[in-house]
Amino acid sequence: MARMKFLCDTERCIECNGCVTACNNEHDVPWGINRRHVITLNDGVAGEKSISVACMHCTDAPCAAVCPVDCFYFTQDGIVLHDKDLCIGCGYCFYACPFGAPQFPEMSSFGARGKMDKCTFCAGGPPPDGSVEEYQLYGRNRIAEGKLPLCAEMCATKALLGGDGNVVSEIYIQRITQRGSRPETWGWATAYNFAGKEKKP
Amino acid sequence: MKRMIWLLTVSVALAVFLVAGLAGCSMEPRSVTMHEPGVYKGAKDPLLAMQQQDQVLVDRFRLVQTDR
Amino acid sequence: MTPFNKKWLHRVSSEPASARDITRRSFLVRGGVALGGGALLGLLPLGCMRQATTEEKRNFPRLGVQTEYRRTICTHCSVGCGIIAELQNGVWVGQEPDYDSPLNLGAHCAKGAAARSHGFGEKRVKFPMKLVNGAWTRLTWDQAINEIGDRLLKIRAESGPDALFFCGSSKASNEGAYLQGKFAALWGTNNVDNQARICHSTTVDGVANTWGYGAMTNSYNDMRNSKAMLFLGSNAAEAHPVAMQHILRAKEAGSVMMVVDPRFTRTAAHADIYARIRSGTDIPFIYGLLWHVFKNGWEDKDYIARRVYAMDDIRKEVEKWPPEEVENVTGIPKDKVFQIAQTMAKNRPSTIVWCMGVTQHHMASHTVRLFCILQLALGNIGMAGGGANIFRGHDNVQGATDVGPNCHTLSCYYGLAEGSWKHWARVWGVDYEWIKARFDMSRQYDAGGGKMEYTMYMPGIPVSRWIDGVLEDKANLSQRDNLRAVFFQGHACNSQTRGVEMKKALEKLDMLVISDPFPTHMAVMSDRKNDTYLLPTSTQYETSGSCTASNRSLQWRDRIIEPVYESLPDHVILYKLAKKLGFANELCKNIKVTNDEPLIEDVLREINRGAWTIGYTGQSPERLKLHAEHRRTFNTLTLKAEGGPCKGDYYGLPWPCWGKPEMKHPGTPILYDPSKPVAEGGLVFRAAWGTDYNGKSLLADGIYSKGSDLQSGYPEFTSDILKKLGWWNELTPDEKKEAEGKNWKTDLSGGIQRVVIKHGCAPFGNGRARCNVWTYPDPVPVHREPLYTPRFDLVKKYPTYPDRKAFWRLPTRYQSIQSVNHSANYPLIFTSGRLTEYEGGGAEERSDAWLAKLQPEMFAEVNPKDAADASITNGKYMWLEGAEGGKIKVRAMVTERVGPGTVWTPFHFGGWFQGKDLYDKYPEGTAPYVRGEACNTATTYGYDSVTQMQETKATLCRITPA
Repeated sequence: MARMKFLCDTERCIECNGCVTACNNEHDVPWGINRRHVITLNDGVAGEKSISVACMHCTDAPCAAVCPVDCFYFTQDGIVLHDKDLCIGCGYCFYACPFGAPQFPEMSSFGARGKMDKCTFCAGGPPPDGSVEEYQLYGRNRIAEGKLPLCAEMCATKALLGGDGNVVSEIYIQRITQRGSRPETWGWATAYNFAGKEKKP
Repeated sequence: MKRMIWLLTVSVALAVFLVAGLAGCSMEPRSVTMHEPGVYKGAKDPLLAMQQQDQVLVDRFRLVQTDR
Repeated sequence: MTPFNKKWLHRVSSEPASARDITRRSFLVRGGVALGGGALLGLLPLGCMRQATTEEKRNFPRLGVQTEYRRTICTHCSVGCGIIAELQNGVWVGQEPDYDSPLNLGAHCAKGAAARSHGFGEKRVKFPMKLVNGAWTRLTWDQAINEIGDRLLKIRAESGPDALFFCGSSKASNEGAYLQGKFAALWGTNNVDNQARICHSTTVDGVANTWGYGAMTNSYNDMRNSKAMLFLGSNAAEAHPVAMQHILRAKEAGSVMMVVDPRFTRTAAHADIYARIRSGTDIPFIYGLLWHVFKNGWEDKDYIARRVYAMDDIRKEVEKWPPEEVENVTGIPKDKVFQIAQTMAKNRPSTIVWCMGVTQHHMASHTVRLFCILQLALGNIGMAGGGANIFRGHDNVQGATDVGPNCHTLSCYYGLAEGSWKHWARVWGVDYEWIKARFDMSRQYDAGGGKMEYTMYMPGIPVSRWIDGVLEDKANLSQRDNLRAVFFQGHACNSQTRGVEMKKALEKLDMLVISDPFPTHMAVMSDRKNDTYLLPTSTQYETSGSCTASNRSLQWRDRIIEPVYESLPDHVILYKLAKKLGFANELCKNIKVTNDEPLIEDVLREINRGAWTIGYTGQSPERLKLHAEHRRTFNTLTLKAEGGPCKGDYYGLPWPCWGKPEMKHPGTPILYDPSKPVAEGGLVFRAAWGTDYNGKSLLADGIYSKGSDLQSGYPEFTSDILKKLGWWNELTPDEKKEAEGKNWKTDLSGGIQRVVIKHGCAPFGNGRARCNVWTYPDPVPVHREPLYTPRFDLVKKYPTYPDRKAFWRLPTRYQSIQSVNHSANYPLIFTSGRLTEYEGGGAEERSDAWLAKLQPEMFAEVNPKDAADASITNGKYMWLEGAEGGKIKVRAMVTERVGPGTVWTPFHFGGWFQGKDLYDKYPEGTAPYVRGEACNTATTYGYDSVTQMQETKATLCRITPA
């Protein structure tokens, strides 16, 4: 059985926020929430890299492990989903998640959390596939339509890949191998990323 | 006479208390989801039943996300 | 355990929970509120939250309802990404990636991924409005058209037709832009323009004067063939994000990526080599590269000998730029310049990319020529992987430049001479004398340098200078009166310089009309109280039409949704207004009109009938629709369909697509590539300037396109030359009748082009690219310091031009500005640029919740050294004062992205003016989510010596904490 994974190729990510917006579009995510974020490291200096992060659909998901009401479940593809009916908005999954994927709608000036919302790998949730209830709570269910997450499908540079982990690996290995043919890939400067060190043509 | 009034008051009070007490016993059907650690009890997801996803999704991946 | 149930959440159900019951769904606020992007949780007070309207609740896909898919092209940048819209019952409910499109392969940036929000339209101008004593009052369309028309006719009677400045748009479709240009011509003025003026006008003119056409020579896809790529003043990662997929694939395949920019941009972060250059010193930099090229003998001598004219003039100029001087002026270390030169030379074919960083300077028409000359020296033009890859800006700026409203030429670069007018009069089916009578023929005016001309044959006032047309003393204008009315259709104003003076100009106008989907900064930046109209205009998603991507491919757009609220498409508004003004019949003589809407396909057919100069003749609506339908059959590297119904064609029939549609020319994917026959997309350099000059030949030597009957250079074709060659009798009798006495540009039968191509020749001749443009202010490019320069010590050696009395109808200053040392008071370079999420004036994107949340505030990037010197703290407000006194209040972002001595801002913001938020001035419900200072409130005077491009990339400022 395939295991669904995301991979963001930082050599290609240009922080265009296409993935973030595609997700917001497809699931009508409200203002305060971004299920997907693009994080930029070393902003503005040599060695700047961007990476797009959302729920990574961990195999041994810490969010599921710590949930006091066990509202998480796993599809056969390894997609981590949860049931908002059971969720009590305690925020413990947010503590446990290494990626900050769980999001909570900011409801009032007192900051009460509301139901946890996160990337669903465009696989919706418990209600019937494609139903109005499913859309309103979890967003579109593209997996049920035979499609993959829209963030990955719309990535401007095909940096973000989302799908069967084996196929994603295959693509990524191909890219690495091709990059390996460049002299720029090798050498001390690349390995240790000395800031500002230029590579020879 | 005084004793009769006192008895009446007590029995009325007792009756009231009895009715009030028994009111809590009315059984409205209420189902409660009891929590068992590690066991998911939410609604079932139709996606779980779909077995044939793999190839469809791999084909879709190659169609859309590869460098054509 | 009873589930969570907070009362203030939406649609609370009171039913008890059961194991299967899902009615308490409603917890999640986003259920109603988020649909249509209504309330802004966390940013607005609770009182602003509201229920989704019934309409908005329908905006998501439902099971069991039939879904229709329609295709359009993104309306933001010139990459031309395909968009697939999912519709249910006419409501736009979703988007899918257009992975079949060979240009974007399904990819989008944030803007393209947010296209669906156009279907909500919550911040749109919903009905016609006008300002009455400072309050926005609703009108009907008829009222608006009548009032505007009456006022225009009154102003015309008093001041002549040139008192109107009609600004068209590069966001219109080709057909819309074409009608905009035609409208102005039939009204009787050349005061018409579009965004190209302030974008790549210098490119178009400079490059066209070098080798024939001023457009991108190759394509985004073709960059995968490049072995080295040099980006100068181009931030492709933020301005053309989807094009980066081709660029990064090229890099992965071994191409060396080099970026030269004052900022370490997101593009530079991916580059192999980065060089920080001082704004405005591009000419010295290229001369620095050429110095190494010539010194090491890396130039392609054979190429130069056969295809280039006057390279020796460049060699002479290069000697003035030894490495020390280049480093002194540009700030780039000597070894870095050498490294870049060596990389370009040793990794051919190499390509060069440039954008606004280079074009928005007062000598940029010359700078771009030097870029072409570098590529000519290296022999990189006319081959896959090489070329001058000019990344255009807006989605249809290429189309608007080509066929649309321009103040210096009629459609398709025919110019404004009498012959050009007569050509288009024939195509339009309108009597030339009738058109002439529409213009101010009362007297002639100074067309520059003392040459007198009627306004009909003289370039109009460009959009970069419209404020001077209003404010300048009318005795100094080369027309009867000042501009008294301004009609902006699809153009922002916060992208033009000198905002403080613009406010004054706006307040002086008799009438202001804004025809736009959004109010824009123009509706609120001034203190006008009356005679200001807002006309709700549809976006390109609400109409069909074609648009031209940067690589010259035309793509067809289907209409996705009906115009929202009371908006109307550009061409409908123009037709209604033309009806009121009395020339509707002339506007649409050969175009079918139904319910005041000109038929888009007929407009394109009219363009096809007249656009012989640049080959917009073969792209009929039918062929374009066929390409859209079978786009999957096109190869993504060559853009050629190897099989299928479009076999042999190049995607989008990139112009020039010679001859009539029946001739089925496949389009020209790579310009000036002689390795293919002209009939299959090959080309040579244009012979546009005669056969020789100063005793040297201007025709190519021994170079010709494959299969050409003429195996060396030849001039452009006329009926006489065909007769001399003995090809005349190959024309049909009908063609002969029409083509007699005409040339390849004016022969409406297409016979000349057809026969010439049959013989393997290019209709425009086979000439040399020229390094010396003798008609230009500087025949050989020379460096001139920006008008507002931080290096006053260099002004003596590299001065600017003398002031001019009449240049595009206006006095234009140069020397008088540069001779003052502004850097004493304004020590920092002030430059501006792009953000990915916003585009142009930004009103459209800042009104889109999905995009606005990603860039919530206007800001300026300041280097830590300058921040420390001026006591600026990261994240706090600061005042940025421009050298002419305009001030803006922005957040300071202290970063090393900009070098010491440079301050950078994005230019997309509007809705504030000199520290004040103009929220209250917007019509109700139309204020964008995000408002901020327009950086151009603080920019300054400075205009290109050939095209009047504004000098935005190199001016001066000072910063103080707020």
